Amino acid sequence: MSAMASRIAALLVAALLVTAAWAQEQAFTNRSTELKDLGSPSGKTVATLPENTPVKVIARGGGWTKVDANGQQGWVNVFHLRFAATVEKSSSGGGGFLGGLSGMLGGNRQAQTSTIATTGIRGLSPEDLKNASPDPQALAKAESYRADKAAAERFAREGKLQTASVDYNEGGRR
Amino acid sequence: MKRIVFAVLLLACAQANAQFDIGRALDLGRKIVTSDAFKEFTPEQELALGEQLTAGFLGATPLHPDANLQRYVNRVGKWLALHSDRPDLPWTFAVIDTETINAFAMPGGYVIVSSGLLKRLSSESELAGVLSHEIAHVVKKHQLQAIQSAAKGDLASSIGKDLAGDAIARRGGNVLAQEAKTWASGLAADLLKDGFFLRPLDRSMEFEADQLGVVIATRSGYDPYGLVGALEMLAQYKGGGDAASVFSTHPPAADRMAELEKFLPAVQRYAGQPQLEGRFRQSVR
Repeated sequence: MSAMASRIAALLVAALLVTAAWAQEQAFTNRSTELKDLGSPSGKTVATLPENTPVKVIARGGGWTKVDANGQQGWVNVFHLRFAATVEKSSSGGGGFLGGLSGMLGGNRQAQTSTIATTGIRGLSPEDLKNASPDPQALAKAESYRADKAAAERFAREGKLQTASVDYNEGGRR
Repeated sequence: MKRIVFAVLLLACAQANAQFDIGRALDLGRKIVTSDAFKEFTPEQELALGEQLTAGFLGATPLHPDANLQRYVNRVGKWLALHSDRPDLPWTFAVIDTETINAFAMPGGYVIVSSGLLKRLSSESELAGVLSHEIAHVVKKHQLQAIQSAAKGDLASSIGKDLAGDAIARRGGNVLAQEAKTWASGLAADLLKDGFFLRPLDRSMEFEADQLGVVIATRSGYDPYGLVGALEMLAQYKGGGDAASVFSTHPPAADRMAELEKFLPAVQRYAGQPQLEGRFRQSVR
């Protein structure tokens, strides 16, 4: 490997490490957008952030994301952000996240298994699913928790949820 | 001597006949499976299949022990399902106790959601977004379509045989509930063994379920951005996903958000509807 190539490799590794360190909360504006004082279209604009402004995500809710942009806090339209984790995913290949079935069952699993082992998290493995023998008792138990219509309506009233008449095609026509 | 010749002739006839029948049966099965006549499962079959698949899932990973959590998720789910085009299915929502982040829709109105996903959501409207997406898959029968196209692709597989055998049986008369159950348990076992639920559905089905899901949640009175919030969480999630996670079985969250951005202005006027963070936090810990 030439000196140039190894320098490029070192830079790539460094870039990956930086991405990983930012991981959880880092996002970038994906277009020029307004930073507002409230998470609502009627919020007052406190700053205009150019495309690719790095921001720190603080909270999410209702189509607006609370961010910190260079020390200034405010709300940004969720669709005007791209997330650091997403950048990494998208660059790993087209199609599905892990590139289909072979990707799912192939190389990626090794790394994931080790993640699971070190954090003590137990996930659902493909082997669990493939070797499962049906559990009719657990099914019966799950079915015993079903809510009937009256219970669902009472629950909705308690939450002040009101049926709205929204046509399925309403959005599709746009 | 005559008798022996007769017996041999009879045997030969029987064999020829048997071969003829098997060939015809296979041919018939192939025709039915690949023809438009075999587009629909009967309601009994759909329900039995959902039941058996759910039993299989619960054999792989346990139900979450918190009965209040199970009831809470069932109330949210049932309320949403009442605003779908199939309100009368016996909707069942099961929380499985696993860190894997995903939710699965089974035919017949069975929806499975992992506790790993639940605890990363921040409000009832986000939960409603996730459950509505799964309800939409059931309403649109996406899984049934995927099972049929898998069978068409490989008739020699056990799934193809399950369906071909069933199609032949249907020709002879009605499939009763008990028969449907027996048939469904075989098909469910084959689908699980085959890793069917670890494979992504078509991207177009996922985008359709996202849009219909937003409509169902909005009709039910929730903030329309719940699903977007759940996708935002997934887009930020850095823990890696195992093969059964949403990261393996769905298009990237960023792609789904880009599709929803085109759709959401249509329901923007409902953006003030409740998110119910408090009730969610009380129920999901």
